[in-house]
This record gives sequence, structure tokens and C-alpha cells, in this order.
Amino acid sequence: MDRRDFVKTAGGSVILAVSGTYAFRILTECSAAWTKIDSQPSGRKWGMVIDITKCPPDCTACIDACRYENNVSHHEDERWDVNWIRKVSIEGHVGKKKTEKSVILVCNHCENPPCAQVCPVQATYKRHDGIVIVDHHRCIGCRYCMIACPYNARFFNFKDSEEWPNKNRPKRSHGVAESCHLCAHRLDLGKKPACVEACAMAGNNAIYVGDLNDRESDVSQLLLSHAAKRLKEDLGTSPKVHYIGL
Amino acid sequence: MDIKFESIDGKSFEYRVMMIVFAVLAGVGLLATFYIIQKGLWVTGMYTRVPWGLQIVMAVYYIGLSAGSLVISGLYGVFGKLEYKPFARIAVYIAMLFLIAGLLSILTDQGRMDRVFIQPFVHFNLQSMFSINPILYVGHILICVLYLWALFYEKKKLTKIVATLAFGWAFCVHSGTGAIFGFGARMLYESPLLPASFVAAAMASGTALMIIMIVALFKLTKRHVDDELIIWLGRFLAICVIVVLYFLAVENAYRAYVVELRSAAVYYLFGGMHSLLFWIGLIFIGLVIPMIILFRRKTGKSVKWIVLASSMVIIGVLCERYVIVIPGLTYPPELFAGMEITHSVIEEGIAKYQISFLEVLQAFGVLGVTGFMFGWGLRYMKLLPTEARALNHVAASK
Repeated sequence: MDRRDFVKTAGGSVILAVSGTYAFRILTECSAAWTKIDSQPSGRKWGMVIDITKCPPDCTACIDACRYENNVSHHEDERWDVNWIRKVSIEGHVGKKKTEKSVILVCNHCENPPCAQVCPVQATYKRHDGIVIVDHHRCIGCRYCMIACPYNARFFNFKDSEEWPNKNRPKRSHGVAESCHLCAHRLDLGKKPACVEACAMAGNNAIYVGDLNDRESDVSQLLLSHAAKRLKEDLGTSPKVHYIGL
Repeated sequence: MDIKFESIDGKSFEYRVMMIVFAVLAGVGLLATFYIIQKGLWVTGMYTRVPWGLQIVMAVYYIGLSAGSLVISGLYGVFGKLEYKPFARIAVYIAMLFLIAGLLSILTDQGRMDRVFIQPFVHFNLQSMFSINPILYVGHILICVLYLWALFYEKKKLTKIVATLAFGWAFCVHSGTGAIFGFGARMLYESPLLPASFVAAAMASGTALMIIMIVALFKLTKRHVDDELIIWLGRFLAICVIVVLYFLAVENAYRAYVVELRSAAVYYLFGGMHSLLFWIGLIFIGLVIPMIILFRRKTGKSVKWIVLASSMVIIGVLCERYVIVIPGLTYPPELFAGMEITHSVIEEGIAKYQISFLEVLQAFGVLGVTGFMFGWGLRYMKLLPTEARALNHVAASK
């Protein structure tokens, strides 16, 4: 090997090693970012607990309150109605006995929200306090989030909304996707979400919203004293809506 | 070998009729789109449970068509098959047009089209397939433009570089498009095989399209093309068809085998309209019959039969795109394990979807725009060669 070849080989090896190290670093950083489960050990983390044993099948107080508070559009047609909260009856069998339950479904405000992951414009994002929210001034209406949500909890404003009951909140604009934002505007002011208030007013007290990081909060206490379930936990989305009695 | 490229004079009656038809289609599509913007997307028949409809099916289909054309141009550009040089320009041009068609379909499907040109590029999200894909698509169009430029000015070295880049890029484009669905959490979407099978279907449909285009264009403009060139393309198409069939078989066998996905597989294969499209449109018309035609010695060497087989593949792949997009949406996610939803304010079970008239108009509109640009290109650019001969003929003429 002459000097020229030696310089070439050595230089090549150095370049390869350096670029390889960098590539490895970038890869590990990327993988860390991808696998990071933002568990937010400190600060506020809003979560919801729904006690379905206290939820009577014919009560719609929370749904009505949500519609009023957030001007959620309603067109008298189930195909295009937007339902931030929806109530379903579910049926199962324990042995030969039929069990029937009534459950309300809302956005699960996942720790790893697939809707936010797929949003091409980052219009859907998770706030620091764990609320998954849509910036409806940025959303382009591609509806990929609806495809990605494994809970069918996201809705699209296919039609313009005619109603505008609550003038303090914006009218829902057409052509954008949305879902429950846990009444973030009320939580920020220290108030409870509309559905929680309505449920308490109706005398049911089935819905609780509170800080999951605070051991003393209602929700934490409920979760400590009850066996609660979350929907489709195997997906790794880590929902923050917990169900008691499911 | 010297190949002369000439534009068409564009004064014939047929050409004018074709351009008028395309213009009318484009106009109708534009009107339909305006109407949809005015009224909201609900007029298209899409709804909460089926938020994607025909436009997405068509977008995926068009993007797939663009791939195969690029493959044909790659035969010369990448692999140096000189006898396919005559088709290189037209192939790249078609590849570019169909990618634009795909983008137009996606654009007209958005809830807020006004925001599409800014937001995705300003608020880029590396984790979203929908964010990665526009970069791939726009890159693909730019590469096609550069490729065309290199071909027009006969830059041999640049052609080779750009052709190779375009070839690789096309693979990324189609894998990315497949990943939009394949990486999704829906039961009938989620599949790491989907990006690969997308590439295969894209190659098949694109090659089929190019065969039809070449035969039709050369015949209509009274230019000569050697049968051998088409027969070789037919063989290539046959291989693509086998690969598509193989991927479909693996994917469906997997779904039927895994207990978790079995009910979804049954729905997919025997659950309604889409199953008919799957079995008759895709498997039978789109793959099996063309395969028989292309592999039989007699029919596989006849240009007419090859064109017939190509038309069938094109229809079959359109059905394939439909049965990828729609059943994945209509099949419901299982929200409560072991329990059944008996009552809800929205449709919770298997959803229904019907293609609406407006969506069809929009799809035709996009086709009209594409066709018009194609016709324009034929007239004002030197895309078509005066003749295309197989290699042994080339040697003989020397």
C-alpha cells in the first residue's frame, strides 16, 4: 500500500466512522422521540372518570349542556351531526344472563393521540395539561384524524351550523374536524366542564374531571378506590378517560 | 440510433373533439367542486362514519398510474434499453400528469382547500404520513420536470442520474401512499404489506396504461411501432399482475388466519358490494383473465389481446383501490370487547357508503384537466417519436 492509498483508506474510514456515529445518533434520537411516552409526572394532567353505574339510560343532560356550551352543530341527521359526547347502549352476556349498560363516549384525550400524530398541519395537538385539542383555524379538513382515531370520537363539520346558542363561544366553522376538548376554556378559568356541571345538576354525579397528577383530586381518589377500565387499552394510546362499572 | 421526435399538428377533427370533451369535463368538475365548497362536503355523500370517498380512491389510483409510466421511461433511462427510448418522453410526461391528477383529487377533497397551499408546508409534521407524502409528491413532479428537460435536450449523463433518482423516488411515493392506509389503526388498513402491494399494483396499472396509450397514440397519429416492443411490455405486465395477486393472497390469508382479524376478513371477502368488486372486478377481470391472456402463447403475442388485457388490469386496479379505501372505513372498530352496541346516536355497526353523482363529476373533472394537459403537451411539445422499432430492426437498418 503506498502513501496515497493509505491516506485514501484512512480518510475514508474516518469519514465513514464520523458519519456513521452521527447517523446512529440521529436514529437513536428519533427513536427516543417516537417511543417517548409523555407521562407528565409533574404539572397538571386533566383526566375524566365516568361512573356508568350512576348514568341513567334516558338522561341526556351532559350532551345537551355540551351542545349549548360549545355550539356543537346539530342538523337533525345522524350522518352529519357532530357529537362531542354520544351515548350508546351496549349489550353483553354473563353466562346466560344478558347485561345492558349505557355508556357515554367522548374523546379519550389519549397520552399518545393517534389523531395528533397523523395531523399533517399539527392542528390537532396535545396541550401540556394533556388535553387533545384542535386549532380550527389551522385544520385543512383532510379527515385523516378521523381515520386514525380508534374510538370514532372525532367528527367533521360537513355542514355549516345554523345554530349559535352560546354567543360567548365561537360558532363552529365548517370544513374542519373537531372533538371534545374537555371544555379547556372553562378548565383554564377554574370552572368545571359543562357536562360535569350538567350531570351534577341532574343529580347523577356520574362524570368527574380533575387532575390525575394530584393525589387528592376527585378523579385520583375515585381511581384509587374503584377498578376502572379504559377503552382499547391494548392499543397503547393510553386514554385519560376512565370508566367505572364497565 | 437516431430517433426523431415530432409534435402532432393538432388540426384534425378528432383532436379538436377530444380537447373539447376534456375541456367540458374539466369545466363540469370545476362547477361540481364550487358547488361542494359552497354547500359543504356533506353533498358528496360522505359522512361521519365514511369520511373518505371516491376522491381519495381516485387520488390513490392516479398516483399509482403515474408510477408505471415512469417505469417504462426507466427502461431506457435507468436500464439503458435503447429500444424503449422512443417512449421515454411521453412516459415521463404521463407520469407527471397523473401525479398532478392525484394531487388535484386530494385537493378537491379537503374541507378547507384555501389552507392547503400554506399550512402543510409551514406546520410540517414529520410523524404524519399525510405530511411526508406531499413532499414526496411535489418532489416527484419536480423530478419529472427535470427528467423531461434532460430528455428533451438529450443530456445523456443527466438523464441517467435523474432517471435513477426518479425510479427510486417513485418507489417511495407509492410506498408512502400505501402507508397512509397501511400504517393506520383500522382493522382492514393496518398492514405492513400494503406499501409493497401498492407499488406492485401501481406498476401493473401504470404499465397497462402505457401499453394502451402507446398503441392508441401510434395508431391514431399513424406512426409505426414494432409489435415486439408491446409484447415485451405485455410480459412485464404479466409479471406485475402475478406479484399483485401474490400480495393480495398473503394479505387476505393473514387476515383470515389471525383470529383477531377473522371477522374483518369475512366482511372484506364476503360482506357486500365491495366483495363483488373484489372478486369479480379485481380478481377475475383485473388479474386472472389478463394473466391467462398474457401467458397464453397465442394471445400473449397479439397486440390486440395485450391491449384488452391491459384495459382489464386498469379496471381491476381501480377496483383494488376502492376495496382498499372503502371497506376499511365501513368496517367498525370494536369499542367494547365482547359487547355489542345496540343503540347510539350515530351509525355504529357496519357503515354504508355509496358513490354520489357529484363525486363522479369531480373525478371526471380531474380526468378532464389531465386529458387536456395531455393533449396540449402532444401538440406543443415533441413527445412522440416518428417511429419505434425493436432492437434487431434497428441493427438491420444500420
